[in-house]
Amino acid sequence: MIRWPWDRAKESLSEELESHLQMAIAARVARGEDPEHARAAALREVGNLPLIEDVTREHWGWMWLENLLHDTRYALRQLRRAPAFTATALLTLAFGIGANLGVFQLLYAVILAELPIPHPEEVVRIHVARSPFDQSWTISYPAYQRLRDATPDVPLMATAYAQDATLEFPNRASIEASLAPVSDNYFSGLGVAPAAGRLFVQADERMEQSEWPVVLRYDFARNMFGSARQAVGQHLVLNGRAFVVIGVAHRRFLGDLTGRAPDIWLPLALQSTGAFAFSWDSLGPGHDVSLDKPWYNQPTIFWLVLTARIPPERRAAVLAHWDQVFRNDREVMTEATADPAVKAALLHAKSGIAPLSENGMRKSFTGPLTLLMGLSASIFLVGCLNLANLQLARLHARAHELSVRMALGASSSRLIRQIVLEDAVLVAGGSMGAFVLGPLASGVLVRWASNRNSLFTFDLHPNLPLAALGVGLMLLSLLCFSILPVVIFIRTGVAQTAGSRAKVAGISQTARQRMRSNVLLGTQVSLSLLLSTMSGCFAATLVHWETVDVGMDREHVLIVRPELHQPRYTDHSEMLPELYSRIRERLQGLPGVRSAAVEMCGGIHCGWITALYVHGRNDLTDAQVHGQEDHVGLGFFSTLGIPILRGRDFSSSDTDKTQPVAIISRGYARQLFGDSDPIGHSVGYGPAPNDHKFLIVGEVADARVNGAEREAPPVVYMSINQNPAPVNSIRVRAVGDPRQLSESVRQALREVDPALPVSEIVPLATEVNGDLGTEKLLARLAGIYASLTLLLVAIGFYGVMSSRTARRRSEFGIRLALGATRRHIQMLIVGQTARILLAGILPGAILSILALHVAGHFLYGSVSVNSLAIIAASFVLAFAGSVATLIPARRAAFADPLETLRSE
Amino acid sequence: MTGTPKCQNRIELLQGMLDMLVLQALLREPMHGYAIAQVICSRSGEVFTVETGSLYPALHRLERQKWVKSEWKLTESKQRAKYYQLTALGKKQLTSDHQRWLQLVRAISAVMEPEVQS
Repeated sequence: MIRWPWDRAKESLSEELESHLQMAIAARVARGEDPEHARAAALREVGNLPLIEDVTREHWGWMWLENLLHDTRYALRQLRRAPAFTATALLTLAFGIGANLGVFQLLYAVILAELPIPHPEEVVRIHVARSPFDQSWTISYPAYQRLRDATPDVPLMATAYAQDATLEFPNRASIEASLAPVSDNYFSGLGVAPAAGRLFVQADERMEQSEWPVVLRYDFARNMFGSARQAVGQHLVLNGRAFVVIGVAHRRFLGDLTGRAPDIWLPLALQSTGAFAFSWDSLGPGHDVSLDKPWYNQPTIFWLVLTARIPPERRAAVLAHWDQVFRNDREVMTEATADPAVKAALLHAKSGIAPLSENGMRKSFTGPLTLLMGLSASIFLVGCLNLANLQLARLHARAHELSVRMALGASSSRLIRQIVLEDAVLVAGGSMGAFVLGPLASGVLVRWASNRNSLFTFDLHPNLPLAALGVGLMLLSLLCFSILPVVIFIRTGVAQTAGSRAKVAGISQTARQRMRSNVLLGTQVSLSLLLSTMSGCFAATLVHWETVDVGMDREHVLIVRPELHQPRYTDHSEMLPELYSRIRERLQGLPGVRSAAVEMCGGIHCGWITALYVHGRNDLTDAQVHGQEDHVGLGFFSTLGIPILRGRDFSSSDTDKTQPVAIISRGYARQLFGDSDPIGHSVGYGPAPNDHKFLIVGEVADARVNGAEREAPPVVYMSINQNPAPVNSIRVRAVGDPRQLSESVRQALREVDPALPVSEIVPLATEVNGDLGTEKLLARLAGIYASLTLLLVAIGFYGVMSSRTARRRSEFGIRLALGATRRHIQMLIVGQTARILLAGILPGAILSILALHVAGHFLYGSVSVNSLAIIAASFVLAFAGSVATLIPARRAAFADPLETLRSE
Repeated sequence: MTGTPKCQNRIELLQGMLDMLVLQALLREPMHGYAIAQVICSRSGEVFTVETGSLYPALHRLERQKWVKSEWKLTESKQRAKYYQLTALGKKQLTSDHQRWLQLVRAISAVMEPEVQS
């Protein structure tokens, strides 16, 4: 037993009063009274000793603390006595608050958080010119140097995109690390501090280094080397090149692109090694572009994204200055097009700025995350309503006890305090769960939202707004499910039921009280209908994109990614057609394989933008000539299941010594030739006078090669045998499930070329669904929310109807005794549920239709089609509600009327 | 009702008066609660009785305000009792209470018996 400080004080007080009493007795005895009589008289004179003690203790000033402790102990005892309620409340609160925290943390990281650097508002992206084909805001290295030199006092940073690289470290399995090539002033310009070591300086940008410097992301360094400090000075091998870690960036700095935290930052000069795959755009073939040579002196390769730190008031002047410096580059860029309108637009374009926050991540996730936040708020609300209803039912069950306590002199404020404290303990417990659950939830959400090939990395550290939200939700839940119901109940309920046992046990619940819990239940039904409808629609949308006709046989094709970007292949590209043919023959010899083919593009993010000009046509606009390009091997179309509509497929007689041929997709043909036959036209990459050497020999159907949810792009296919180069994928079409072929394919490739590494084997279905991150996120989370609210609604109906039938037991007993059938009693109870359901479903349907309008952007299909989900959701809800009601209804109907009446 | 308590509660103590009387009782020497009640009773010519139910809350209130401090000691009859003693702060409080009381008495007398004043 714990001895509190007030226990001693209490004993002392008792002793003090006792000594007072003894002195009073002694005084009377001294005056001659007999001891018996003296004692009685003294006791009478002194009065009610325990009451005096109580009153005195109130003057100590810490009675409240003692009371609080008492009440807490009492609360815990009460909660232990109602384990079902306690568990429901704890789980509801933990999940309701946790879900909100999880989604908010993500929302904050994606939308609200600023870069963790000084004066983040000064840092902006510089949009000088869009590259000719990709339309990305990239410029050449020489242009970057000119702009940077023109304004030495403005930090102008350049970054590039590079594909993930293979990181080798002694005694460790090699891993894929994401890269961010940056200019030497990147960290100093942004104002990022190192967590250990140093960041880049000008000397790091030197060409031809034997060991290149890299900077690591904090968490990456910790995972790899244990700590940031230990990482500094470590030697790494990236794509076969030697690197040394010179420093680790600040813990909170995850790069300048939301969600895309690079593991490794490296100097731009690294491009000259040719060991890394950089994203680029150019003026197109025939413009003096040598991709194999270093890019730093080539003005026609566009690969650098610009970021600058300029105070707002200087922006106009600096941009105007840069436009002057950049004028020559604009003229160079006009060579990429024959369209005079586009040429004029290019020449007159002005540089602009864009906030760093304006990126794809924010664009694609603001909507879904806001929506999810709304859904999370609804589930929190449903949880609170449910608890409020359970609370009211619980209070009604305790009405007799409470009224007796009030009659005995307990103050209503003390009663309210005790009950609220009980719930505060619940809220505290639930919130603790929520604060554990929240970060876990955001982690899971990030994984769901991530595309297949790249996991998003966000700064998910706890922050002040998150804590404020958590505390706010705690207080709100306490207010909703505890303070309001209790105050209402004590002020009305107890006063009315006080005194009469019969009234308490009988039909004391007034119409108003019933109405109150009906409204609460009805609101729950509405919100639950909303969540169920949304969940149904999101699921349908996901299913739609996962099953939509992509114009390819998505269920039977396997994508194999070989690593052909190695000198032994790239230096002897003339040997490649022969290798491809051997691969094809070997794979087609495998049992279960229908056909196999090689393809330049590796997957849905190939994005090889090109332009096709038709011989003898000078009237083509840029919109007509632009499309996508791909180089494919023999049997590609039959392997992918893309039908040939006109003309012929590539054949083994198409070699580098014969007429270069091309096959175009229906969409591209329509763009260039309308409905007329494209076969026999000559096309080329540039407008006349450039040569148009490719002869169109075939037309194939459109296919959604950029992902299931994106429209089929116009594509021109060339023969890989006429343009030998390392391919990025081998496609294998299976008779049955392609996954089962993985091992035999890997084995067969080893037999063809033991030195050829295979980095990945994935089914086509997985690849084309790879970008359905937001759809998956919405469908899964809405699904979880919907099932939870269904459960809560079921619990709500069960709880309310149970307490109601329990209270009407004697009434039912009399009814049964008077000849009512059990069915009649059941229908009486189920009828109540039906009315509440109906009253909830109607506003819920309106709410759902509104929500469908708002969320229409994320849904496939029209609002009216999606509205059908409301009907389905209503049925599910009605079913759940009825089942939950039937349990107490049966209990009431099958109780022995004699027993019930006897117990009265 | 039987018994003959020495002091009848003939005049109800005004709000705040008890505190002043208790402090005044303690002015000369430390005392325990019973003695304080006796002193007030006898000095008032047995007009005031101090209810135990008012005395102890008052003593604990005064102690919390640091106007008195307490200590367990043995009485002359060798009984343990809690003795209260006036603190410096308590003396100051008593002085100001006393001043206010005199003012009050003067003012009330002036209102009730104007002819005597003039």
